[in-house]
Amino acid sequence: MNAEQKILVIGGGMSGLTAALEAAESGAQVIIAEKAPYLGGRVAQLHRYFPKLCPPTCGLEINFRRIRENPRITFHTLAEVTRISGGAGEFQVTLELKPRYVNDRCTACDACAQACPHERVNDFNYGLDKTKAAYLPFDMAFPQKYVIDASACTGDCGRKCQEACQYEAIDLDMKPQTLDLEVGSIILAGGWELYDAARMDNLGYGQVKNVITNMQMERLAAANGPTVGQILRPGDGKAPKRVAFVQCAGSRDENHLPYCSYICCMASLKQALYLREKDPEAEASVFYIDLRTPGRYELFLNKVKEDENIKLIRGKVAKVTQKAGSQDVVVVAENTATGEKLEETFDMVVLAAGMVPSTKAAPAALPLSYTPDGFIIPELLPQGMFAVGSLKSPLDVTKSVQDGTGAALKSLIALGGRS
Amino acid sequence: MADETFIKPDLSFVKRIMAAGGDTAKKCYQCDTCSVVCNLTPTSQPFPRKEMLQAQWGLKEVVKSPDIWLCHQCSDCTVLCPRGAKPGEVLGVLRQMCIEQYAFPSFLAGKVGDPKWLPLLIAFPVLLLLFVLNIFGLMRIPEGTIQYSKLFPTLLVDVIFMGAAAFAVFVFVNGVRQYWKDLNVNPWKVKVEGNLVRDLIATLKDIISHNRFRQCETTFARSLNHLLVFFGFVFLAVVTALAFYREWFEAHDAVTNVYLAMKLLAIPGTAALLYGIYGIYQERLKNADKAGAGTYFDWLFIFVVAAVGVTGLFSWVFRLIGIKMLAYPTYFIHLVSVFFLFFYAPYSKMAHMVYRTVAMLYARMAKRGF
Repeated sequence: MNAEQKILVIGGGMSGLTAALEAAESGAQVIIAEKAPYLGGRVAQLHRYFPKLCPPTCGLEINFRRIRENPRITFHTLAEVTRISGGAGEFQVTLELKPRYVNDRCTACDACAQACPHERVNDFNYGLDKTKAAYLPFDMAFPQKYVIDASACTGDCGRKCQEACQYEAIDLDMKPQTLDLEVGSIILAGGWELYDAARMDNLGYGQVKNVITNMQMERLAAANGPTVGQILRPGDGKAPKRVAFVQCAGSRDENHLPYCSYICCMASLKQALYLREKDPEAEASVFYIDLRTPGRYELFLNKVKEDENIKLIRGKVAKVTQKAGSQDVVVVAENTATGEKLEETFDMVVLAAGMVPSTKAAPAALPLSYTPDGFIIPELLPQGMFAVGSLKSPLDVTKSVQDGTGAALKSLIALGGRS
Repeated sequence: MADETFIKPDLSFVKRIMAAGGDTAKKCYQCDTCSVVCNLTPTSQPFPRKEMLQAQWGLKEVVKSPDIWLCHQCSDCTVLCPRGAKPGEVLGVLRQMCIEQYAFPSFLAGKVGDPKWLPLLIAFPVLLLLFVLNIFGLMRIPEGTIQYSKLFPTLLVDVIFMGAAAFAVFVFVNGVRQYWKDLNVNPWKVKVEGNLVRDLIATLKDIISHNRFRQCETTFARSLNHLLVFFGFVFLAVVTALAFYREWFEAHDAVTNVYLAMKLLAIPGTAALLYGIYGIYQERLKNADKAGAGTYFDWLFIFVVAAVGVTGLFSWVFRLIGIKMLAYPTYFIHLVSVFFLFFYAPYSKMAHMVYRTVAMLYARMAKRGF
């Protein structure tokens, strides 16, 4: 197969995986480059999807199986694209592969982690806990292989991990590798990062205990999360009975993200519902500017409204402080429907933080046109290059999947047009 | 519907707000960050969110709202506003319009806030004073030691300036009467429960201590600068009163207690005024990005106060070092500035001291946020 029939997908999250699979299953040769040590992206971190409240893992599992069964897909984890040159039909791409220090013999037996003396902050759980420096990113990680975080595994840490492994799966001499590829088409699927909630200093994140982000809430609720699926507030491990959801925490705010992040309303409503499902005594208050539940998602909103223990309060929270001498959190807002300014105490506050395209912090390896907020402008991409999902605008998983399929088709057409 | 409310939007009102420096009003999307971060608002029906809505919708009644005067333009709202709608600036413009609303005669009211009328507004005291000099045959640099009464005899100064002050007081009394009447009818009709005298004393205490102004976060320094300007004015007002007393009831060259008190107050008064107004100027420039650059109405007032202080100081300095050619013209400009400050007080930001006091008194009596 020549270069013209190959597609490179940069990013192995939901949109990238979808694009890669649809293209490969239509006959193209596809290479996925993912910078994390696992595939699945943000979706892998979610506890439940909206609106059906089903776990994302089953959908991911199906995709991972499709990858395993398809000989036309290859993927690289810990891979970053450092250079792209050429044009449609003849892109030259350089991939930097960071060492995993664990080879294919790994059986995910956990012996290395048990023996590992050092720890690292668990970025998969948004810093809610720590893992050993030799770790499996999460229980269903694909590929099912451990990773050693070299920056945390210093001194004799590596040796101890290696000694614990009876399969000779740990190779401390692994070096970064460079891979040069020639492909006919490129799909950018870098996805999104959560906006840094600590930048809103009036919302208390990072200063007030028990103020968490929406993604941390997902991890707290997930069975493979730091609390094994029990929602416990990080400050003292108590199950929160009163939880406030602060909408537009950074989004629709020209001091932060001037755009609407699209998913946060649905995410908070979903979280309020599963909080109530897990703990029937719990109460949720959602403070919002507008509840944006586009299209049929309105039905979901109606369902939430039926629950008397979920209060929807129109008014943005602009002050969050620690209650003196307590782990509780004081939230100030105005209920604009009644015109009364409220000061309420909650056990935990969830900030509905927004989406930032990954290209904001890490632009693509060739000059492209971006909006001021770092989103890719698809119309201005070079021929043979496509962007999917949240790189173009904030969107939900359903739309990402549709977009991924669309991009697969476009890149197939691009390849076909050149042969 | 029984509780149907008809609103009467006034587009020209919205346009005037925007022209006067509230051009950001329409950006507001009512998220309510402003009312939440405001340290000065009452908790019930807080400002400035509702005022932003009223401004956008052209509901003119908002200029009569006492709430706009409870705002000290800390700009904490403006800093955190997610839309750059600058509620602090918009409320400033609404206060300007309140001043215009209650000023008499109404044709003069709009002119002070409009830069294109500035030359004419300055020309009035200049021509008036020149005219007076001319008819009394005093249009020259006087001979001998510098003594400002050689240029403007004291009686003349008293007549002109007491006339200007009396005019301003008359306009203020008229405006306040109407304002107080409007405050005590719907839609702000809150049963006024307080005691006029007791609450007036409490309000004056609030003003003297600046205890509300000092709750500002972003522009906290401004509250201290304002305090300096305020006490500068108080001191200089006392100095003026003492000078008046001395002029009419004491021998001019005798060193009396009144004379000493006058001199002792004049120097710190001038210093406080100048230092404070310089601080206000600096703070405004420093905060312009996050808190808004301020309107023409604001800046005019700052410059007039600064002009009064600076020309006053230099009249003194030039007199002491004996440079006639500078001393008398500076004194002339000083008189023009003071006249400008007093005569246009009911139409300029100077009027805030009157309307804000009234609104604070009303709010205290109505138990609104106090």
